Amino acid sequence: MKRFSWDEMMNRYPAFFAILLLVVALIINFILQPNMFARDTLNSNMRVFLPMILLAAGQAVVILGGGIDISVGGIVSIVNTILATQVGLNGSPEKMWTYVLVSIGAGILAGAINGFFIAFLRLQPIITTYATSFLYVGFALFILPNPGGGIPAEIANIYRNTTPLGLPLAFYVIAVILLIWMYIRSTRFGNYLYAVGGNAEAAYETAVPVTWVIFTTYVASGFMAALAGVAITMLSGSGNAEIGVPMTLTSITAVVIGGTALSGGVGGVAGPVVGAITLGIIQNIISFSRIDTWWETFVKATIIVVALAAPGIINLLRRKKV
Amino acid sequence: MSVSLSARNIVKRYGGVIALSDGNLDVHSGEVVALIGANGSGKSTMSKVINGVVVLDGGQLLLDDKPVRFSSPQAARKMGIATVFQELSLVPKMTVADNIWLTREPLKPDGMIDRRVMREKTEALLELFSGTFKADLRPETLVSDLHPDEKQIVEILKAISLNPRILILDEATASLDSRQVERLFELVRRWKAEGKAIVFVSHRMEEIFRIADRYSVLRNGKTVGQGDIKDITEKDLIQLMTEKEKVFQFTKTTIAENATGLEQPVYLEVENLTTEILRGVSLKVKQGELLGIGGLQGQGQRDLLLALFGDIPYQGIVRIRGEVVRFKHPRQAMQKKLALVPGDRAKEGLLYIRSILENFLLPSWQKYGFPLKMKLAKRDALAISERLSLVMAGLMAPVSSLSGGNAQKVVIGKWLLRDPDCYLLDDPTKGVDVHTKAEFYALLTELSQQGKSILFYSSDDDELIGLCDRVIVLHDGKIRAELKGASLTKENLIAASMGVSNGGEA
Repeated sequence: MKRFSWDEMMNRYPAFFAILLLVVALIINFILQPNMFARDTLNSNMRVFLPMILLAAGQAVVILGGGIDISVGGIVSIVNTILATQVGLNGSPEKMWTYVLVSIGAGILAGAINGFFIAFLRLQPIITTYATSFLYVGFALFILPNPGGGIPAEIANIYRNTTPLGLPLAFYVIAVILLIWMYIRSTRFGNYLYAVGGNAEAAYETAVPVTWVIFTTYVASGFMAALAGVAITMLSGSGNAEIGVPMTLTSITAVVIGGTALSGGVGGVAGPVVGAITLGIIQNIISFSRIDTWWETFVKATIIVVALAAPGIINLLRRKKV
Repeated sequence: MSVSLSARNIVKRYGGVIALSDGNLDVHSGEVVALIGANGSGKSTMSKVINGVVVLDGGQLLLDDKPVRFSSPQAARKMGIATVFQELSLVPKMTVADNIWLTREPLKPDGMIDRRVMREKTEALLELFSGTFKADLRPETLVSDLHPDEKQIVEILKAISLNPRILILDEATASLDSRQVERLFELVRRWKAEGKAIVFVSHRMEEIFRIADRYSVLRNGKTVGQGDIKDITEKDLIQLMTEKEKVFQFTKTTIAENATGLEQPVYLEVENLTTEILRGVSLKVKQGELLGIGGLQGQGQRDLLLALFGDIPYQGIVRIRGEVVRFKHPRQAMQKKLALVPGDRAKEGLLYIRSILENFLLPSWQKYGFPLKMKLAKRDALAISERLSLVMAGLMAPVSSLSGGNAQKVVIGKWLLRDPDCYLLDDPTKGVDVHTKAEFYALLTELSQQGKSILFYSSDDDELIGLCDRVIVLHDGKIRAELKGASLTKENLIAASMGVSNGGEA
């Protein structure tokens, strides 16, 4: 007797919309670029998508917990500028890995700052992280005012050309992300995350440490943003303080089309990972169709608006019928 | 497992309002104590004191004869006190099992939740209520997919899964059907035999007599009677809950009969009004009538008023002066000259941080043209504030600077400026001081003499009896009784509120 409901569909199969979109995008991309599944093409695509996959996974954790992190792009920028200025084009591998650790520490610290304001001072997530995003981008500009610097090419090539068993490195990273997520999902913390995102007050009454759960989501997001920063630096090989700025909206879009509700408590991390890949492919399609690049922003914005509005529109239509 | 809990001379204040002045309760292993009281008697405050949701201002809590102090619900939970909340504490988008075992999930050695054990334990718990709910209530069902009664069952199971020594059932039967109540009572008897102590808060008299061993009656924040259920009758209990001393002298309004002695015409006619809570309510209100709406809180009074004001969707027919109307938006109701004084004035009735002037004129700005004729607006607002003898620093002061009573005057004042034909009042005297209450009563009388129709829901039974000619009592979304004339007594009103069958004329 239960009718089809969008909510229920999204609840049961959070990644449904993302996979549908992925299939459509893959088909179009395949028509435009018939060799896309060839080993080299696949790898060159996946290494471009990987930073966004990492970023979307972190964003998904925050959004599941009922928050949002607008500052992830800023954290990517900080990591990129730290690496590009401190390692340099002629730096040694030891130096590189040291600063990778330093920049990951910076990402965690930035996440902890967000978490402190939001979880402990109870400030609004969207405003807080919007404000800190300026702080972080500003800090990145302070480190590297003009684009430049970089990392040694041989280190960048590790990222670009590692294909164990002929599969792109990104596949292994995705597998690790999903395994870790599946583990977290089945721990007590995973349950807390959904409870806090779903109904923070009920969670509190049931003795869930709500404050710490929220804090942890921002730290996790900061950590993932730092990893994304390391990945994008190795991909580009150079430094630019503005590099992370356009990534924030994309990461939120990836989460939304991945079936993770912006209201929190519904969805997962797998959907957003698929969402990030889908958005990457859409970007490919746009560049292959030889249309102006501003279409890319337009298409992304359209996707996010449609994905956000769809449940509301369906509800509206349903209410009209009654 | 032996346990005893005593609450002695409990005092609890919310701001200036005293919710409990002398609350007492004793409960021991192996017994069910019913906590009884009319609206606003302090019974929900009392249960919140025991389970640590509110911190008491005075008096003593003794657990096993040792003084205790609970700073949070968790502290009380650790001492073995569990509560079934009426407002459910469940996460909608999580499964039944996840909700019941949240924070107490069985873990495997590797830190993962042992879902198999959790499902089995949940199934064992659900077994307690087996046969009383539909098959779709399974451990893996999402709580948001459940019906209200099933959610209530999950809430009960969540409390009992703590294996508490003291279990507080706060109106836990309100959304259960008779079979489920029956099963709950079987379980309560079993828990009783196991040595648990149970506090049963309910407004259903019949259930109290079926399950309780002892009773404790609250009236106006004071415990006025305790004893064994077998020594008391339903009638005596209602008597106990009924206050003797009257604070006010009310002057009744009788519908102004016109010179020829003809009856006033019917203003509002409602047929079979149904919403999520209301289950078919029909009523008629004459022009100039002050119709009282009584009953315990949350029996559909709010829905009735909101539906009439076009604020929530409904089924049924509403006629105003014989013409069928179907408001889909409060604006349409306002155009038909209806006014609503909502139950939560801070949230729904006022723009709390904005000025008194703005609040007064909010429904009527269009009268003042473009650009706004501010002088005229101010003069009108001042006139209305004088009429209501509003105590304020000035029209530009924010509403948040006013006392509860004066803030409520602003809510009524903003409608008076529009001169509506019909007022829908949702418990307008709640949290209002005695002096302002008296002014309200005078105003209501005046309005009805001017021929305005008023639907007046109040949680204060004395008000209803003192002011209204006719009171309808809602219970479980239906009109339980219509009281007027000689049948309009406090005993009948309370009896009908509690769902006692012989209360008043049906």
